[in-house]
Amino acid sequence: MLFNSLTFVVFFAVVVGGYWLLTSWQARKNLLLIASYVFYGAWNPPFALLLFATTALDFWLGARIAGAGDPASRKRWMWASVASNLSMLGFFKYGNFLLENTQWLLARVGVSYQPPHLDLFLPIGISFYTFHSLSYTLDVYRGVCAPTKSLRDFALAVSFFPQLVAGPIVRAADFLPQLVSARTLVTNQFAWGLFLMTLGMFQKIVLADTLLAPISDNVFGHPSPVYQLDAWAGVVAFSGQIFFDFSGYSTCAIGAALCLGFHLKDNFLFPFAAVGFSDFWRRWHISLSTFLRDFLYIPLGGNRVGAARAALNLIIVMFLGGLWHGAAWTFVVWGLIHGLCLVVEHFFRTITKDAAWKETLPAQLLACAITYFFVCIAWVFFRATSFEGAGMLLGAMAGKIPVGQAIVSGREILQVALVIVGLWIVHWRLRDTSLEAALTRKPAWLIGALWAVMLGAIILTQGSGNAFIYFQF
Amino acid sequence: MPSSISNFDFERPIPALPWRGLLIAAALVTAAGTVAWELTARSWGYAPGLNDTSDLWADRREAVKPDSVVIIGDSRPLFDLDLDELEKGLGRRPIQLALAGTCAYPNLEELINDEKFRGTIICSIVPGMFFAPGGPLLKNAETALKRHRERTIAHRIGHHLGMFLEQRIAFMKQDDLVLSKLLEKISVPNRANSYLPPALPPYFSTTDRERRTRMSDACAKPGELQDRVKHGWIPLFTPPPFPPHTPKEVLEGMGRTVEERFGKVAALVKKLQARGGKIVFVRFPHSGDLKVLEDKGTPRSGAWTRLMQETGAPNIYYSDHPELIFDCPEWSHLSGPDSVEFTKRLVPHLKAAVAK
Repeated sequence: MLFNSLTFVVFFAVVVGGYWLLTSWQARKNLLLIASYVFYGAWNPPFALLLFATTALDFWLGARIAGAGDPASRKRWMWASVASNLSMLGFFKYGNFLLENTQWLLARVGVSYQPPHLDLFLPIGISFYTFHSLSYTLDVYRGVCAPTKSLRDFALAVSFFPQLVAGPIVRAADFLPQLVSARTLVTNQFAWGLFLMTLGMFQKIVLADTLLAPISDNVFGHPSPVYQLDAWAGVVAFSGQIFFDFSGYSTCAIGAALCLGFHLKDNFLFPFAAVGFSDFWRRWHISLSTFLRDFLYIPLGGNRVGAARAALNLIIVMFLGGLWHGAAWTFVVWGLIHGLCLVVEHFFRTITKDAAWKETLPAQLLACAITYFFVCIAWVFFRATSFEGAGMLLGAMAGKIPVGQAIVSGREILQVALVIVGLWIVHWRLRDTSLEAALTRKPAWLIGALWAVMLGAIILTQGSGNAFIYFQF
Repeated sequence: MPSSISNFDFERPIPALPWRGLLIAAALVTAAGTVAWELTARSWGYAPGLNDTSDLWADRREAVKPDSVVIIGDSRPLFDLDLDELEKGLGRRPIQLALAGTCAYPNLEELINDEKFRGTIICSIVPGMFFAPGGPLLKNAETALKRHRERTIAHRIGHHLGMFLEQRIAFMKQDDLVLSKLLEKISVPNRANSYLPPALPPYFSTTDRERRTRMSDACAKPGELQDRVKHGWIPLFTPPPFPPHTPKEVLEGMGRTVEERFGKVAALVKKLQARGGKIVFVRFPHSGDLKVLEDKGTPRSGAWTRLMQETGAPNIYYSDHPELIFDCPEWSHLSGPDSVEFTKRLVPHLKAAVAK
């Protein structure tokens, strides 16, 4: 079920009420596990079995890794976990993509091959829960986390409903310790959790779905060329839409977890204020970037293997990061643009290592604008459904298409401008602090008024929002 | 390392503010604001009532039995057909699957491709809509069908909760009082040559669980609302000119789609009839400037005649029968009382058509 639905409001109220009324910690965990499977099964009950199968297999493999007598056996069990998780992900998510590309490749060498179309229904959130589960065996292998003896606890760590289908990617090593002793109800923490849920919903329903999505959907879905201003309006709107959509989900997840006494880490840290691509990935989808860093980039050698190999490592990581988002080459290009930008930035940092001017405000603002510019260029490939569409839009943005249409109204242009400029200002002001610290400095009446305004705006939308973009991943 | 798990010392900070008090204050202010908004909506003439959502449509689609009488098409049969009168006349309560602002083709195709279905289809034809090659007219139908196919337990529960609230709260009007619609009321000048869709008409009807839709009294009698609705149709029914730089292949593709639709509909009709099903195409009343516009843009001698010839299906063109000529208050649909009378008079024609 969607966070932005009446069903979830009722579900959450029942679960939270029941959870805090129960006195036994074991009973509370049982309730959360059942609730998480109900939450997931509400989409498609059979896929809950798949979720459980993944969980049970990694639970068993985690124990095998820990119990293996020698490093070679440990490694074998770890690879068994990697292979099983990625096979399942590959089958459901990339099956048709692989077949189509095989067909294309064989056609290049003159072999005619007609692959069957696998009529697969992608299990919602599979990319997220696969990584939740895989992080456990990898962390057990790395010695970061000892295997849990409780299948129930591990199943809860993988399926915990606030983060189950669209992240953040919560590692078992971060969650399992919180299941050891009973969480306590702290009123301020509970209310702060509700505030975060409101903020997340506001970001998603009001800012992403109501103010930005119609413009980006219109521009990206338009079959013929659009004017330069319209193209930019659509792309800039999408940059805000995807941030508010995904950050909104993460904020809701963090808030919902807090209401239940659990602490999830931040997934976004004001990415519109990123100065460079390294900084961007420290602020955007942090749970994915740290996952890829710890389990892919560092094992590949990271930056300890010479400049050329480090650059290649970055490209590989971002290539796979792009592919993780979806079975399409446009996602790969999105990842490669980020990879290339990271490489160029590393090179630039190396040659300007001691330059003091880099730290001046104008230089930082310029770097922030350049970063945003290239992030937007990359978003074109992320959002477009084909290279033709992406090319047409990029041509329009560059002013290279002499003809086009004005398809964005004056009101919509103003709407996008206000939201994105506002977003930039807020992120820039908060870039070196945290939301919590910033709110602490504000008067209580202002926070109360802000809360009421957000709630009012959510009610005004009447739950007419869309599904979260990251659900499809 | 502990028996179970690694060390984890992360704890989210909580801003040092009186959160309990803030929660209560925010809840009270929001509740007061919501009540004020509800009173405002009622003072504007809105009343509690259902929204015609994809879920409501999917409910009705699920009610279709193999031998059902099903109504499909645009908003005209939605407003103009009275289910009680049809039940009295045809001996079976029909299922209302027509959708406002929609091309009927996707629903026709889905229904006939459902091999179990061998009932009767009453299909409204507004040529400009039925032959739409793409865009919102098809998207509306496809959205409803998608919900029917991919409906989850969560959707069903949400739908029932939504209906519970909609029947009690006046401001829950998805076509008029949601934030996105309110923002559309802000007037900001557009650029010259902007290619923007015309605004949809304001709220002027009510619907029930069976999707029986009735024009509001305020719209049925002359006045500001009726004028707004009337004049809303003209831009909606005026196809925008294709920009000169629309890719040739896009234009050719649209032309091909329209051309192919005749053949596809004929094949579907044959398929339905082969398994004992029936279909009747109906052209519903329309009047005023809208009739002038439709007669000019899509004359009867054009798409309608060709479709009837190619399908050979029974059909009823309202103006062939003087007793079916009614005046539509807002040019496109009948008022509630007229819809009952119209249906009574239509039933004999439907029975004759079905008997063919």
